[in-house]
Amino acid sequence: MDKVLFDSEKGRIDRKSAGVEVNPFDLNALETAVAIKEQTGAEISVLSMGPNRAEEALKEAVARGADNAYLLSDQKFAGADTIATSASLAAAVETIGAYDLIIAGEMSVDGDTAQVGPQTAEFLNINHAAYVSELISLNESEITIKTSLWQANYSKSFSYPLLITVTKDINTPRLPSFKAKLKARKAEVKNLTLADIKEKLKIDKVGFKGSPTWVDNIVVPAEISRKTKVFSEEEKESAYHKIKEILIEKNLMED
Amino acid sequence: MKQVVINDLKKIVGDKWVDQNPERVLSYSRESTNDNYTLVAPEPIEGSVVVKAADAEEISQILKYANQEKINVIARGAGTALSANTIPAQESIILSLERLNKILELDEENMLLKCEAAVSLGDLNERLKSNDHLYFPLHPGDEGAQVGGMASMNAGGVRAVKHGIMRNQVLGMEVVLPTGEIVHYGGSEGKLLKNNAGYDLMQLMIGSEGTLGIITEVSLKLYPEPKANGTLIVAFASREDAFAAVPAILKKGIIPMALEYVEKDEIELAAADIGKKWPAQNGEYFLMIMLSEAEEDDLFEIGAQIDQITAEHNAVDMLIAQTTAERKDILEIRSHILPAISDKIIDSPDVTVPRSKLCEYLNILNELEEKYNTRCPVVAHAGDGNLHVIILKEAGSKPDYYESLKKDIYQNAVDIGGTITGEHGVGEMRLEYLKMMYSERELEIMEKIKDAFDPNDILNSGKSIIRK
Amino acid sequence: MAAKKELLILAEYSQNKIHPVVFELLNKGQKLAEKADLNLSVLLLLPKKIDFSELIAHGADKVYYMEDPVFANPDEFIYKENILSFLAKAQIEIVLTGATNFGRSLAPRIAAGLKTGLTADCTALDIDEAGNLIQIRPAFSENILAHIKSDSRPQMATIRYQEFKKGTADRSRQGEIIALETKIKDNPNLKDIKKLSDREINIAEADIIVAGGSGVKNGEDFKLLKELADLLGGQLAASRDVVDAGLIAKEYQVGYSGQRVKPKLYFAFGISGAPQHLAGMKEAETIVAVNTDPSAPIFNLADYGIVADLYQVIPELIEMLKN
Repeated sequence: MDKVLFDSEKGRIDRKSAGVEVNPFDLNALETAVAIKEQTGAEISVLSMGPNRAEEALKEAVARGADNAYLLSDQKFAGADTIATSASLAAAVETIGAYDLIIAGEMSVDGDTAQVGPQTAEFLNINHAAYVSELISLNESEITIKTSLWQANYSKSFSYPLLITVTKDINTPRLPSFKAKLKARKAEVKNLTLADIKEKLKIDKVGFKGSPTWVDNIVVPAEISRKTKVFSEEEKESAYHKIKEILIEKNLMED
Repeated sequence: MKQVVINDLKKIVGDKWVDQNPERVLSYSRESTNDNYTLVAPEPIEGSVVVKAADAEEISQILKYANQEKINVIARGAGTALSANTIPAQESIILSLERLNKILELDEENMLLKCEAAVSLGDLNERLKSNDHLYFPLHPGDEGAQVGGMASMNAGGVRAVKHGIMRNQVLGMEVVLPTGEIVHYGGSEGKLLKNNAGYDLMQLMIGSEGTLGIITEVSLKLYPEPKANGTLIVAFASREDAFAAVPAILKKGIIPMALEYVEKDEIELAAADIGKKWPAQNGEYFLMIMLSEAEEDDLFEIGAQIDQITAEHNAVDMLIAQTTAERKDILEIRSHILPAISDKIIDSPDVTVPRSKLCEYLNILNELEEKYNTRCPVVAHAGDGNLHVIILKEAGSKPDYYESLKKDIYQNAVDIGGTITGEHGVGEMRLEYLKMMYSERELEIMEKIKDAFDPNDILNSGKSIIRK
Repeated sequence: MAAKKELLILAEYSQNKIHPVVFELLNKGQKLAEKADLNLSVLLLLPKKIDFSELIAHGADKVYYMEDPVFANPDEFIYKENILSFLAKAQIEIVLTGATNFGRSLAPRIAAGLKTGLTADCTALDIDEAGNLIQIRPAFSENILAHIKSDSRPQMATIRYQEFKKGTADRSRQGEIIALETKIKDNPNLKDIKKLSDREINIAEADIIVAGGSGVKNGEDFKLLKELADLLGGQLAASRDVVDAGLIAKEYQVGYSGQRVKPKLYFAFGISGAPQHLAGMKEAETIVAVNTDPSAPIFNLADYGIVADLYQVIPELIEMLKN
């Protein structure tokens, strides 16, 4: 999503101004999947929860190598926070069927909470690895990834099933060929509604009603306007003093 | 520069805005030319002074003063031009426009943006981001380029196929004439779409390379932002196939935003240099076609036509980028070619030929490569017939055949109906080749026009046109 | 009388120390706990018990800990299982944790396990009149600040490092240290885990950047800037012209064609302020520019400018900071 408009009269986001493009982090997730497919012959399904116009993004995924596309869409999902979203996605995953590996982008560029991946893993009661920047190795029974935690890089090996969230460093997504995109425009996107996933849901309600958090208020911070204070060479000392003040004020002094 | 001149200039603009520090004067005397064409760009003559005027009024006073004292004045923008246009060839007042950096008005009714000369293309695009439906199409590569400079150099660049070059984007101007008068073109508001009264001095100003006046304000045409955008990358195994496909596409009535030609070595280097990856894996020669259409269906219908045409010309692959980020990446990589290869090249004449002659010109280039036993990579705004023929260094320095090869590149272009420069302009580096294009009489008329505007020849003297 | 409910800070113990964000959270947590009438407690999972008195000195009323070798590695599954087993029985109103990579990976699992709300990357926190936590975070490319509330308990939030100040230690404070039993010690799906390397430095993440431009005369002289950067715990960076001139490697480049950075404090030494460069750093919180040219465009953007020679200023700054 390149730009989102904030309507300062209504005091809220105009989401219609946002495109329905694939979240750029998700392209890295998809590229990871396609690379695994090329290596192992795996089948790729893509799943998105969103409005009907998100079909376009799913078709983009098909053009890039996904085999099946699912759109989880229902008026009742509107207003979902990350808990309600993850619970709905987890229920959809279990509805779709068996899987070995779930790959998600590190975060979305609009919400950028990075919570939906790990929360979905929790609802599915499977392991997850976040911040995956490399697939070190992979075979039918085990996968080894590189992740960045505790200010260090770790390698972790898991048996399946597993959910990973990948960073931009993991690959450079390839572009689809024109022919593939042309074909994918006619691809079938399977629709899932609340009724389809209800039996697998682990929370009582979805959408706004199933969301424990809500936005109580939105504040537009004042534009950073910089009033430059210029010190001449003779005033250097007071400038240094000011720098010291800033360091203390910002809590940037080393202990 | 004499101290008395310095003092007088300080009286006009204030002490703070007159700079004689030799290092900084040198820095303001150089252009991208000095970075990109180290071995062939002229070195600035020392002794100039940098003056940073606040507005047209101060510029007017400076020009009147310069007339009185007969001092050369060079208007200075971002220094991104590539023709040694603002490099002092004599002691000069380097008049930097950097303080004229305000965006004055976004006029949605008239679909134009009015801004001061030193607003950069990047700032302009940033400002337009907050607007939902209007945009400015031109993209000469470096987003640091300033609109005043872009107008005076008549910049072109990548996205010129559909909407044209700078000459087609300017609706109005404020200009300080060399004699000090402040004039407005495009009506007093600078907002006219048509004006057929008398000679069109505004169009004369555009592309005059700062020799006829100093542009202080520009009104730029904006366009409705198209909804369906896609960038195609078509890969070919041979140069000839790629170039032959260009007129074939355009002949069908397809008008892309941009139709660029790039080669594998250079584009991959450019991508690596900014930490990105060129998306095409197959092929050696590429057409990069930016499409902007009203509806997605149109985009794919045109794409399918291009797919068919390029297949007939032996294309090996065709990719499509539709996400904003990926389209932007491709444009960014394309724009970075020259900076990325700058340490490998001597020069890159931007000759332009009629589109139908692109293949013929390429055959000539092949012959030249053979004749001089070298390689001449090509980057081209192919849709405009505009080529950048790259002359490479040999063993890190200027090859002895450089002058002769360069002359062949220019002469052969002119011979098949082309020009020695499609967008970079004449500056100082292409002065001697002007005679390939114009008769004595034509050059004389240019000189008389210059005299009419600038009787004392104080404005960017010795650039752009030949004076006897 | 029922025991007071708690505000719990979930502490990250990594690289053999308590992550500094914990002390910032303790400082803020004290104020929040007071306002909401809660006890302030800390939960640590660690391979070997350490001295917890610093946590108490910085405001903790209670320190819960689990000690087990399994906590020597960052395995979210084992961590969350054990934390959930503790939270199931505790009276926790609010859970705060640092928005480190591990915190951002672990906290969502815990929230989902409890089916409670979680707000990511808060930059400010408050308590409303009813005693509820107000979680404040930037949203939509930092254009707006969202005030978020939760109607489930505990209320959970992750908080960015260096948003709050660390408080001063009060060694006279008393607190309770409570050992907890490690319930789950095995994760059958995790076959292997090992540390590969400490993470390489990335200027995009730095809080302080010390950048040099064409005012820096040669490559050697960047050592001077590096010394200042090291002293401040910051990162060295550069503008495009010095990178192009080969004085310093491309990875240090800030700008349109380099990295875009957003530190708390940005020093621009000898950088004139080409639009190329400004595009990469204009969003820094505070900009200090040092340049000999009073009309350098960087002074239009900077919060503080010094018209002087960087070769004079940097050694003097270093001198001042050392004292």
